Amino acid sequence: MGFAMKNSILALIVPVAWFAALLSYGVSPGSAPPADAPASVSGEVKFEGTPPKPSRIDMSADPFCVKAHPTPATTEEVDVGGNGGLANVVIYVSEGLGTQTFPPPDRPAVFEQKGCQYKPHVLAMQAHQKLDVVNSDETTHNIHPTPSNNREWNMTQPHGVPLEQTFAREEVAIPVKCNVHPWMKGYIAVFKHPFFAVTDKNGSFELKDLAPGTYTITAWQEKLGTQNQKVTVGASEKKTLSFTFKQ
Amino acid sequence: MGIVASRRIKTLLFAVGIFVAIVRPGYGIPAFARKYGLPCSACHEAWPMLNNFGQTFKDNGYQLGNGRDAPIYQEPSYWPIMFRTTPNWHRESNNRQAVDLAPANPASGLVEAGVAKSGFDVDGVDAITAGTLYNNISFFIQPFIGNNGITVNQAWVRLDNLLGSPWLNFKMGKFELDQPLSQERLLTISNTGGIYYNYFFTPPGDRSAFQGMGNVQLGTELLGHSGNDETRYSVAVVSSNSGGTDLPTNQTYDFYLNFNQAFILPWFGRQQIGAYGYFGQVPTFFRTSGGAPIPGTGMGNRSFYRAGAYAHWYVGSQFDFDTFYMHGQDNVFLGNGVPANQPSKLPPGAVGPSWNGGYIEAHYNPNTRLIFVGRYELVRMERQANPSIRPGLGNLDTWTVGYRWYPIMSPRAGLAWLQEYSRISNIGAAPLSGKDDMRDSLLMGFDFDF
Amino acid sequence: MRMISRFIRLIVLVCAWWSAAALAQQSHIGKLVGNAKPGKALYIRYCIFCHGPQGDGRGESAPYLDPKPRDFTKAVFKCRSTPSGTLPLDSDLYNTISRGVHASGMPSWKPLLPQERANLVAYVKTFSPAFQEEQPGTPVATPAEPPSSAESIKRGAALFQSMNCWSCHGKDGRGHGPSAASLTDDRGYPIVPFDFTSGRQFKCGDSDQDMFRVLVTGLDGTPMPSFASAMTADQRWDVVHYIRTLNNPKQHEVQNAANAQ
Repeated sequence: MGFAMKNSILALIVPVAWFAALLSYGVSPGSAPPADAPASVSGEVKFEGTPPKPSRIDMSADPFCVKAHPTPATTEEVDVGGNGGLANVVIYVSEGLGTQTFPPPDRPAVFEQKGCQYKPHVLAMQAHQKLDVVNSDETTHNIHPTPSNNREWNMTQPHGVPLEQTFAREEVAIPVKCNVHPWMKGYIAVFKHPFFAVTDKNGSFELKDLAPGTYTITAWQEKLGTQNQKVTVGASEKKTLSFTFKQ
Repeated sequence: MGIVASRRIKTLLFAVGIFVAIVRPGYGIPAFARKYGLPCSACHEAWPMLNNFGQTFKDNGYQLGNGRDAPIYQEPSYWPIMFRTTPNWHRESNNRQAVDLAPANPASGLVEAGVAKSGFDVDGVDAITAGTLYNNISFFIQPFIGNNGITVNQAWVRLDNLLGSPWLNFKMGKFELDQPLSQERLLTISNTGGIYYNYFFTPPGDRSAFQGMGNVQLGTELLGHSGNDETRYSVAVVSSNSGGTDLPTNQTYDFYLNFNQAFILPWFGRQQIGAYGYFGQVPTFFRTSGGAPIPGTGMGNRSFYRAGAYAHWYVGSQFDFDTFYMHGQDNVFLGNGVPANQPSKLPPGAVGPSWNGGYIEAHYNPNTRLIFVGRYELVRMERQANPSIRPGLGNLDTWTVGYRWYPIMSPRAGLAWLQEYSRISNIGAAPLSGKDDMRDSLLMGFDFDF
Repeated sequence: MRMISRFIRLIVLVCAWWSAAALAQQSHIGKLVGNAKPGKALYIRYCIFCHGPQGDGRGESAPYLDPKPRDFTKAVFKCRSTPSGTLPLDSDLYNTISRGVHASGMPSWKPLLPQERANLVAYVKTFSPAFQEEQPGTPVATPAEPPSSAESIKRGAALFQSMNCWSCHGKDGRGHGPSAASLTDDRGYPIVPFDFTSGRQFKCGDSDQDMFRVLVTGLDGTPMPSFASAMTADQRWDVVHYIRTLNNPKQHEVQNAANAQ
């Protein structure tokens, strides 16, 4: 066999072998996960130790905001519930989904400005999903996300005027601020897939409709950082996980 | 031949001596780069030579017009001062110098021989402080710390954009005229290659005290330009003392005019054409006291002029060249060195000398750190002051080549390495044989600017 | 051995193609077509000390400048004619280069030939992949300006209040509203709201049309938001008319009288 022949055979074998190796890892280019045997991962995020005392927010710059809070509002950076549960932690699958793509849902994600604070304080949504920004306050806000992996925009929104936007790329998480009311801080986490959740005031979360497999689950908190755990779920299995953050 | 020849030699040598003494290399001003954060290359094609952006900045009174020009916007510790010095090694040679046949023995007779000398040298240090005193008030002070003391080379104040118009800028003090190509901003600095001879030329035997339009002058200048600096004019009224202080000549004034217009040729770039004229007078005798002339009491003024046209041509972004033409004429009394109150002393057939000259200078600027320069300059006498002067005497040809490489160019300081070679041929000026006198300079060294 | 050299050759080709592709970037401003390759030489001559060799605003002079030079790698620009969050048009970048940015280190580069400025625009676009991945936004419309009037100014004053402009710009427009001290730009550097009483030139152009446009597009990368969905065109003109009076009430009277004729 001439050298040229050897070369061309090699040129054919290498990509085929590569493709076969990929297949053996069980990753196939596909779209939606099989919904026939959905597994789920649920659990709690707890805060260990004495939670930091939230400080009072001075909203005197805008009389409307002061009126909206007969007892002054407090900062929401580390929000620990009665039973030690840590709220506003974003739980999501960071590894294990391979190259699957997931179309964004039709329903919009809603980010509300209420009482001169963001509700929810942390929002999780999918890339290309519609984001409805709502101003329920009778004062004018400007909504100013400051992403590092998405386009930055800054829009003024008077009371009741609708505003629709979207984010194109995954980013955990985009800080959002209002320049008019400098104490307003929120976060929007954007994912390529639908397997995310934000813990409620008890620190609970649930990730549903997972296909069987091994995944890395990441917990992200705006001040306390990220933690990872690996979990393997079989068909229709319900696994529980817990995360503990401390200062 | 002897006495007249030796007088001619003395005049030539004296003239050359003046050239060397008064002509100094120009400057790039890191103080401006420090003020605005711009690199040297923004204003300078290759410092000290200005590009169009730098020329516009200069015409606007060293102001960018971005609201940050007045000194109040700078940190209090900012002071617009820079220093420049050019330590170098150079070699000068002359192929036909009159020397004694046997050294230390004048009786052995003079012969023509080649003389060369070389070594390390430093011209001195230019200290320049320049910029804005306030919005639309600019200034420039340039003491030169030379080997023999400190002299004030330039010192002027300018009121910029009078009546809110770029057409009215009024400068007063000691300043360099708005020349076609700035003498102070020459890219070559050697003894032979460091001047534009046309700016300083006077014919042999001419006793005019005029030192040239390349010299700094004392007076006022009105300069104007269109908003985009494409049309420019300047009118200067200066004392007829060639920049000499303490009123050495008399109460007469010279005038200098310059006008240029730029236009854009597709692909070639921005071209500029212009015309200029210098019209002046020189006294031919003074009142005396005990036979010694009293400075400032010059009389018998006779006039002279220099006028011509020039152009800057750009071919793309890396290559440009300048062409320059001058016609000069001195009055017959100036040309023959005779006081105007003694016309009988004029030699028979005396006339006012006139001459034509010009230069072409080319630049190749492949990037901001390197420039090559080549220049050819010539002067041809048209009419000698009297028939006894050989027709071609005073003609000269010079060739200069060189390059400058800028390894360091930051807003704080600049360093250039330069090498240049220049040769001048003075037709028929050899002291004994009347052959051509050839002089050349070879120079290499550094140019520090910080 | 041959495979390796072929591989290396392939890598070299790919790199050359990629850099050539980047430098094949063009700009279109009216009839002018700018090219990135000659723009690179111009950038090295004029821009590199502030904006940096990678176009990230970290040139040698940058630590000493305030405001900081723009970071082109983020593709976020203040002076645009396109909506907030979208790329600017080539002509927006060309106009910024030509006009300069008043009260900053960015001079007006009008002494450069129009072709040179167009080449610079093309080169600046190579610093961010966004210019290859996205299209510029649709330019915003600037309708004809209605004449100013006392009513318009009064409405503008009311909008200045209700739109919370005063929270940054202050009730008198001097630039120290209650939020002013907390404002930062997109790189975290403190930034000061514009002082309308100063009579200084605006950064993105001085005409009423320029001011109107800034109200629609916002100044991306700064706290100044877009009022595209917050106000109608007439309301924006009212605000423009009101803001003009903050600087020079007498001048505005004259303008008023002239408009009334």
